[in-house]
Amino acid sequence: MHNVNNRSRDIGEFVPAEDDELLICRCEEITKGEIRRAIHDGMFTLTEIRRYLRTGMGLCQGQTCGKLVKEIAARELGLVLSELGNASSRVPMRPIEMKVFGNEKEPGENA
Amino acid sequence: MKRYDLIVVGAGPAGLSAAVEAAKYGLKVVVFDENANPGGQLFKQVHKFFGSKEHKAKIRGFRIGSQLLEEANNLGVEVVLNATVAGLFQDKEITVRIKDSIQHYKGDAILVATGAAENMVPFKGWTLPGVIGAGAAQTMMNLHGVVPGQKILMLGSGNVGLVVSYQLLQAGCEVVALVDAAPKIGGYGVHAAKLARTGVPFYLSHTIIKAEGTDCVTGVTIAEVDKTWKTIPGTAKSLAVDTICLAVGLSPMAQLLKMAGCIMEDNPKKGGQVPVCNAYGETSLRGVFVAGDVSGVEEASSAMIEGRIAGIAAAEYLGYIDKAVLTEVAEALESALSSLRQGMFAVENRGKNIEKTDEGYVVSQHLLKKGYFQDAEVEKYPGVTRQPGVHAVIECSQNIPCNPCQDACPRHCIKIGDKITSLPVVDETANCSGCGMCVAACSGQAIFLVNEGYEAGYASITIPYEFLPLPGEGDRGWALDRGGSKVCAAEVVKVQTAPVFDHTSLLTIKVPVAMAMKARFFKEDNCHA
Repeated sequence: MHNVNNRSRDIGEFVPAEDDELLICRCEEITKGEIRRAIHDGMFTLTEIRRYLRTGMGLCQGQTCGKLVKEIAARELGLVLSELGNASSRVPMRPIEMKVFGNEKEPGENA
Repeated sequence: MKRYDLIVVGAGPAGLSAAVEAAKYGLKVVVFDENANPGGQLFKQVHKFFGSKEHKAKIRGFRIGSQLLEEANNLGVEVVLNATVAGLFQDKEITVRIKDSIQHYKGDAILVATGAAENMVPFKGWTLPGVIGAGAAQTMMNLHGVVPGQKILMLGSGNVGLVVSYQLLQAGCEVVALVDAAPKIGGYGVHAAKLARTGVPFYLSHTIIKAEGTDCVTGVTIAEVDKTWKTIPGTAKSLAVDTICLAVGLSPMAQLLKMAGCIMEDNPKKGGQVPVCNAYGETSLRGVFVAGDVSGVEEASSAMIEGRIAGIAAAEYLGYIDKAVLTEVAEALESALSSLRQGMFAVENRGKNIEKTDEGYVVSQHLLKKGYFQDAEVEKYPGVTRQPGVHAVIECSQNIPCNPCQDACPRHCIKIGDKITSLPVVDETANCSGCGMCVAACSGQAIFLVNEGYEAGYASITIPYEFLPLPGEGDRGWALDRGGSKVCAAEVVKVQTAPVFDHTSLLTIKVPVAMAMKARFFKEDNCHA
């Protein structure tokens, strides 16, 4: 059984690949190679990868790349997708400017 | 903080259906949607839906959207647009972004019907302008009246890829190629056949190597793949296109449920991470329901039924109706839902190689690879008969949940029976009047009227036609076969449009009698034919 959090697990050396330059997270401009390298730097979960690289933290909030990053990570770690789990979901669901996020109104009050 | 009995997140087919159903039982319901228009994907669906008559088959999607919205308005459901639900918290409290503020609402029950988002596939050049989702292409065309490009490559042969390709043709674009890495077409054969007979080439077992261009897409390189999805050297070919549409599946947008603490599962058959829920769509959190694509990617017809079930379940949860009423109403809806989930394209059959129909007819491999039947294959299906005089020829070969043709025929020439996925059978003893109701009623445009005795040496063929400009009587051109090749000159002898046909015109063409079972499309060319 794989243990995602077993940090001593040997996933082998980083091997450069031809498509490492491919952009995966468009909003934050992160390439496939950067994601693969991050995993070899010890980022074994999607949450860690996200904090390390900011994948999925841009305007689309991972709507486009979330699944792609997960597939790359699962392959690099030798896991099936469901073993890897998902990154956390947090408020706000969509990007919202801080001035709006902090501007709480009663329903019906003029926004 | 404002309170409602039921808060629905998402005004698509599932959300609106749930709101309507709950409001019928007296619940005070509000629906929030982040878009400027309600209806979710329904208003982009200009094609006629499959399914049973009781569940809105043969009605175009956008009309279903209008009907649902009207029902919701009549029942006093509040639909709040441009309202983004930002969070779902303990005790069923939500925060909503409305204009420049955040507002708090509390529901005694919550229904999340946020739908799904399009998947992307990365290849060299995929970030160039001109690479778009198929759903985005549909939004541009059908909501905003903008064509996404002139020469299109569609990646993905599921129903989304097939239906959007057809709509691109209707918008006047050229679909240069339909590409799929799978060895066979994923969507309905009838949808593929509609494209193939206009001349769209299918490239199965092919993938995109790269999008060409520096500032925008100017071409694409595709290549054949082997059984292990590796590209076969020497098979690369370049096509001139300005737009690449990706129709490679959808992923449920279930983040709200996850943040609320629902137990989730990773289920590839449902499209990804979805909440675990019971038969009524209730999640592991009591009073938090789901319906539609967010609980597993399917299509709009089942989303509407799921929504209704969840709406009724919410009414029961809040004590507006007895458990017995819920059980009774939900049972009928569940049986309708399970009938939609049967047949060759049912979830449990995904990825399986089905060689025969339930009735024992061999499934055409040519249809699955090229998008159309070989001439000899088509005659063995029960909807295809040869009769003197005018009669319906139904080129329907797969067990899909759809039966409007059966009810369309006033003379009962067409029989499907109680099992909605059965192939339609043409009754040779019934007397076809040639009215064409079945031709217009078939959502798959798979029914033709053939009359081999039209006049000496000539047959007439009536085809469903949904392109503009509509040819006129006396126009000349070419008859195309099922694969889109010109087979003979043809003349339009009759053009019928009627409100009951709902924008499917019936074009009757005259061709030499030998072409009666070959010619299936008409291409106007008054100069040469």
